[in-house]
Amino acid sequence: MGIVFTRLFSSVFGNREARILVLGLDNAGKTTILYRLQMGEVVSTIPTIGFNVETVQYNNIKFQVWDLGGQTSIRPYWRCYFPNTQAIIYVVDSSDTDRLVTAKEEFHAILEEDELKGAVVLVYANKQDLPGALDDAAITESLELHKIKSRQWAIFKTSAIKGEGLFEGLDWLSNALKSKSG
Amino acid sequence: MNISNALSLFRKCTGHRSSVNTSVHCSAKQARAMFSLAYGLWKYIFNKTEFHVLILGVDKAGKTTLLEKIKSTYLKGEGLTPDRIVPTVGLNIGRIEDANAKLVFWDLGGQVGLRTIWEKYYQEAHAIIYVIDAAAASSFEDAKSALEKVLRHEDLKGAPLLIFANKQDLAGVITDEELARYLHLKELDERPYMFQAVSAYDGRGIKSGIDWVVEQMERSKRTEVLRARAGITGQI
Repeated sequence: MGIVFTRLFSSVFGNREARILVLGLDNAGKTTILYRLQMGEVVSTIPTIGFNVETVQYNNIKFQVWDLGGQTSIRPYWRCYFPNTQAIIYVVDSSDTDRLVTAKEEFHAILEEDELKGAVVLVYANKQDLPGALDDAAITESLELHKIKSRQWAIFKTSAIKGEGLFEGLDWLSNALKSKSG
Repeated sequence: MNISNALSLFRKCTGHRSSVNTSVHCSAKQARAMFSLAYGLWKYIFNKTEFHVLILGVDKAGKTTLLEKIKSTYLKGEGLTPDRIVPTVGLNIGRIEDANAKLVFWDLGGQVGLRTIWEKYYQEAHAIIYVIDAAAASSFEDAKSALEKVLRHEDLKGAPLLIFANKQDLAGVITDEELARYLHLKELDERPYMFQAVSAYDGRGIKSGIDWVVEQMERSKRTEVLRARAGITGQI
């Protein structure tokens, strides 16, 4: 599947360094998605600043993953990972309806960050394989995606376990990044 | 540099005109200040209004292809070619500048499940472009009822409506007049509207449509209302 990646993204960034953040609450399926995409080895780091960031370097694109939510004391350190971020992939556990409100709040809080203002947003309504999972329209509503008015966004139903929907989303993402100049 | 800064600099420089030395010293600064002042004034007078145009329509109408065509036409760059375009499940944005106006296009996905988000963008929209695949008679019924629902919405009161009879490049397509007759919309009296035959594929008709919508927005009462509201909340 790595080859699909090369096809999609090599022309988008050229040789520029780019960053794509993969964010969401814990247990949303972020790491599983990275493994599914098979772009390289997922390197887990627990740096001294005290939160866990997983990184996949794919050519010149760095995918970085961490859990949103939790203790507020470490949040300022998130900013170290914001510069040059072209896109945010936000992963939601569509079956975890109890925590959708938290997922929404964390989502909009991160979008407020100045350095992420230009980043396009791809939402994965993940865990569609689980019973009771909400569909894309319902997740759109719960996350209040419509509040986003100055950047491109899209939502895709995915099952990271089955590998469904992931590449459709990336297809959109590469297009959005290509046409972003507009 | 903003106007007041430029003005004070300007005053400082002109105040020292009597001394030869300072006037030499000042000239570069002065020139810069003059430029800033002129630029500030120019910006103040000619500051282009930013208009938000919603691109709506049922799925497969060609909204995103239209958006990309608009972008490639006005920005002289490459928009995405039609074969690269995937169904929209969210929001695409295009920004262009016309002679007098900045336009922000919001292209929203048209699949049934996603149409619920359309209305969330109504309040801030200055005008609507409604795209219909004029070559797909089977989609007309859906397109008509979706459009009627759009037009009934309170938040879009008075918003100019441009209806694009799209896909004029295809065989078996109907004209804009035929489409108007078919749709036979009662709700149209309450707003400026126009039907326009276009092809998002080859670009025909798009420019005259955009010209019309810009002109309408410039003189639209709704634009004033939105501006007043933006003034109150301090944002657009």
